[in-house]
Amino acid sequence: MIEKLMNIDRRIVFILVALAVIIPSLLSVSFPITVSQPTRSTYDYIEALPAGSTLMIGFNYGPSSLAELHPMAKAVIQHCFQRKIRVIGMTLIVEGATLGDEMLKAVADEAGAIYGEDYVYLGFRPGATQVLLGMGTAIDSVFESDYGETPLAEIPMMADIKNYEQVDLVLDLASGSSTEWWITYTNTRYNQQIAAGVTGVIVSQMYPYLQTKQLIGLMPGLLGAAEYEKLIGKPAKGTEGMSIQSFAHLLVVGLVILGNIAFFIQRRRTD
Amino acid sequence: MRRQVPLVLCFAFGIVMALTEFSPHSLSQGLNEEVIKWALVIGPFALILAVATLVQTHWVRIRRRAEHWQYSYVVFAGMIIMVLVGIPTFLNRISFLSEIHLSFGPKSPIFVWLFNYVQVPMDATMFSLLAFFIASAAYRAFRARTLEATLLLAAALIVMIGNAPVGDLIWNTIMPFGDNLPSAARQWILDNPNLSARRGIILGISLGVISQSIRIILGIERSYLGSVEGD
Repeated sequence: MIEKLMNIDRRIVFILVALAVIIPSLLSVSFPITVSQPTRSTYDYIEALPAGSTLMIGFNYGPSSLAELHPMAKAVIQHCFQRKIRVIGMTLIVEGATLGDEMLKAVADEAGAIYGEDYVYLGFRPGATQVLLGMGTAIDSVFESDYGETPLAEIPMMADIKNYEQVDLVLDLASGSSTEWWITYTNTRYNQQIAAGVTGVIVSQMYPYLQTKQLIGLMPGLLGAAEYEKLIGKPAKGTEGMSIQSFAHLLVVGLVILGNIAFFIQRRRTD
Repeated sequence: MRRQVPLVLCFAFGIVMALTEFSPHSLSQGLNEEVIKWALVIGPFALILAVATLVQTHWVRIRRRAEHWQYSYVVFAGMIIMVLVGIPTFLNRISFLSEIHLSFGPKSPIFVWLFNYVQVPMDATMFSLLAFFIASAAYRAFRARTLEATLLLAAALIVMIGNAPVGDLIWNTIMPFGDNLPSAARQWILDNPNLSARRGIILGISLGVISQSIRIILGIERSYLGSVEGD
């Protein structure tokens, strides 16, 4: 029996994972969400910005991390438009270009935000380090036109936004190392305030920067999205995903405990 | 000569750019900004190099009939289609093409459709498979064999439970004390042991980067030059 348990067919585990994802997504189960301090700090910072401030969002993720980071992007952009904060979108990775464009447009359409006045999307330029440093001198030295190829000089919102001095906060939505690039090249050199929303797997890497205030806030994975949705009072994909994440985590915890019980019984018998 | 020139350039730019970081003088900052502009121009050439390498690799695979060589044609097809649809924005000025609603560039409906209905599902699927493998691997390999493994296991379980709202719900339902303890415990682990360990790692990496940079600037480390015939 113990032998069987130790060598359980992995296809059974796969089926259990599939069920743990499918069942909660069919049933509309919801759990109370506790907001963590790093997410609250991000929200509080944006909430305290006066109307007309500028937030730059880096859509530095590809389709593989879309499920975690898109809900986060949506919640923050909704919050910005609600607070009349201007949004500049851009990306340092090529896959993020279309994702950022579609997300900004979708939220702007919902909120009635106007392109060129309330938000601008710059798109992608290669060479992340040079892009970040170059924008410190002049944004239009890197992005001479926006994603739709309109020169920045013709966009009303960009008339008074020249470089980081006019950007009140950068929010980096990252599935890789881009947050560390922002910290190294813009916080250290230009004193730019930065917040981050990152995938679950890289959350732990960000904590030293939170303590040193190089990051003013941090949203951890899908949970961060759910927390932000709770703060702005608009539950959406992040909150929906929490029931799936809850069941999947419970399953993995259960499997690990079961595996260890079997392991200890077997070891006792062998001894 | 083929080695000396890059070494001299690397030394000169390395020293000058490092010095400009410490001098707020307008001349120094002007130089820094100018070199960044040069780097912005040079940067895209890396893309050309990447495409050339990709083409070379897959062309060789097809020529040698390496295992699964047929898929290399799929790589070429994908690349060519996306380039044809995504790059020639100048074609948008041709009135005939706009009359038949054919547009090019990253905002073109064809480009967006290919991205949304080919790349997004494929990427998301590949990443989603990880959930299955992680669950299976956790069950088989995550064992409390030693003290270190037990500590790791305990920390991982607390963070996992704390990262899902159901953890707090279960705890608050069955325990009469310590409201939201799982999420608080997760936060403590991330704020303390995790932070300390990560900081140590960051310091170690940073010292390594500084030492490696000095070696490269001084020409001691030359592997970035590759092998030059005759050296």
